[in-house]
Amino acid sequence: MLEAAIEILLKTVVILALPLGALPLIIHVERRGAAFMQKRLGPNRVGPFGLLQPLADVAKFMFKEEVHPTHVRPFFYTAAPMVALIVALLPLACIPVAGPIEAFGRTIYPEVFRSDMGIFFAFAVSALGSYGILLAGWASNNKYSMLGALRACAQMVSYELSLSTSVVAMIFLFGTNDIHVMVQAQSGYWLGFIPQWGVFYQPIAAMLFLVGIFAESNRLPFDLAEGESEIVAGYHLEYSSMKFALFFMAEYIHMIALSALFIILFFGGYGILPGMEGLASKSPYLLMLLQVVSLIIKIACMIWFFVWVRWTLPRFRYDQLMNLGWERLLPLGIANLIVTVLFVYFRNQ
Amino acid sequence: MEFASFVVFFVIACTLSAVLLGISSLLGQKRKSVREMDIYESGVNPVGSATRQYDIKFFVTAILFLLFDVEIVFLLPWALAYKDTTNQAFMIAGFVFFMVILLVGYIFVINSKALKWEE
Repeated sequence: MLEAAIEILLKTVVILALPLGALPLIIHVERRGAAFMQKRLGPNRVGPFGLLQPLADVAKFMFKEEVHPTHVRPFFYTAAPMVALIVALLPLACIPVAGPIEAFGRTIYPEVFRSDMGIFFAFAVSALGSYGILLAGWASNNKYSMLGALRACAQMVSYELSLSTSVVAMIFLFGTNDIHVMVQAQSGYWLGFIPQWGVFYQPIAAMLFLVGIFAESNRLPFDLAEGESEIVAGYHLEYSSMKFALFFMAEYIHMIALSALFIILFFGGYGILPGMEGLASKSPYLLMLLQVVSLIIKIACMIWFFVWVRWTLPRFRYDQLMNLGWERLLPLGIANLIVTVLFVYFRNQ
Repeated sequence: MEFASFVVFFVIACTLSAVLLGISSLLGQKRKSVREMDIYESGVNPVGSATRQYDIKFFVTAILFLLFDVEIVFLLPWALAYKDTTNQAFMIAGFVFFMVILLVGYIFVINSKALKWEE
């Protein structure tokens, strides 16, 4: 009993500490990446290569005055950033960082919440993300906030549809909801060197899911929740100091969690990268280490892709965004699902 | 056992965000002025209330999302159950029938211009 409690606590701390610890680094990479693409220097004064800049920002957030305007709905105004962060953290509970390992005389699963409905659970809780935003917009009692929240919500729910159709297609192909089985199914090779990742079975679903991540986490080119010239900062307009920082963190953690889900479905999850087999076969513990490293490398590539897209594509107009979601991506997702199902059925006949 | 671990995770996540929220109200400077307590509306005096009427399109989008999302939620267990059934032709027929209903609804939505934002 004590052993189990220690195991749960240890897993929880590690799973929470990894993304939260990586957060300053990600923000730094984003700012330096932006500077790199715009031919300027970016933050480079605080510490070596400016690496301590995010920590300085955190300290600044802590010591800023907490403005609590008089016109807000106090309880929900305070609760909204908490809801946003908690909901962003929840999907991480069922994302495994490595395969199951035999240790201390039993099988240990390196995820907090072991479930054979892992994918289902992750999407159920990550879809709650719009609650924090809507609550913030409504509680702020400000026209800009309300409009920003409505926009963000309408956008998130619209793109969730095409994202869900691609998930259904993948669940149908794998025939399972269990993340470990999904990763196992993607572990082989074609012709000895092409990994059997989901993206090669379902390129259209992968594309839909990728677009969906950008819309779900309100990243450029889909960051219509904010707009300097129209609604200023959108739903977090009335928030300051650490309350604003919680929304900021929630956005990045949502991004990490959705990237991890994308990698699980389409890029082999924690499966080791090609070329690591020789090293991995030496010991199960080394294999586990390589799996964690592989997952981190894959997520890092995704984060860099986010930065890259942010400074490459221009923003959409709101009606273009909604038309793309409802009139292009949703039919494409449903057509992809129907073709996949019929193809699998007739191939097995 | 599995749910216990999730409850622990949830409680720790709640505590973490509450602590983060508490930090700035403890450490942050306290210097209240009357103007900063006002509604922010680009520096001009606020006009009217924030709970005014917003575009009906937002609510239409939400309702349509509910309909389509429920259909997709129905498909998830179907996709899981497909492999274990013996009568796969029946499953496929059901799927196609379901998709046709979905398609009719979708065509109705597009034709009634419920999602046109331009005008």
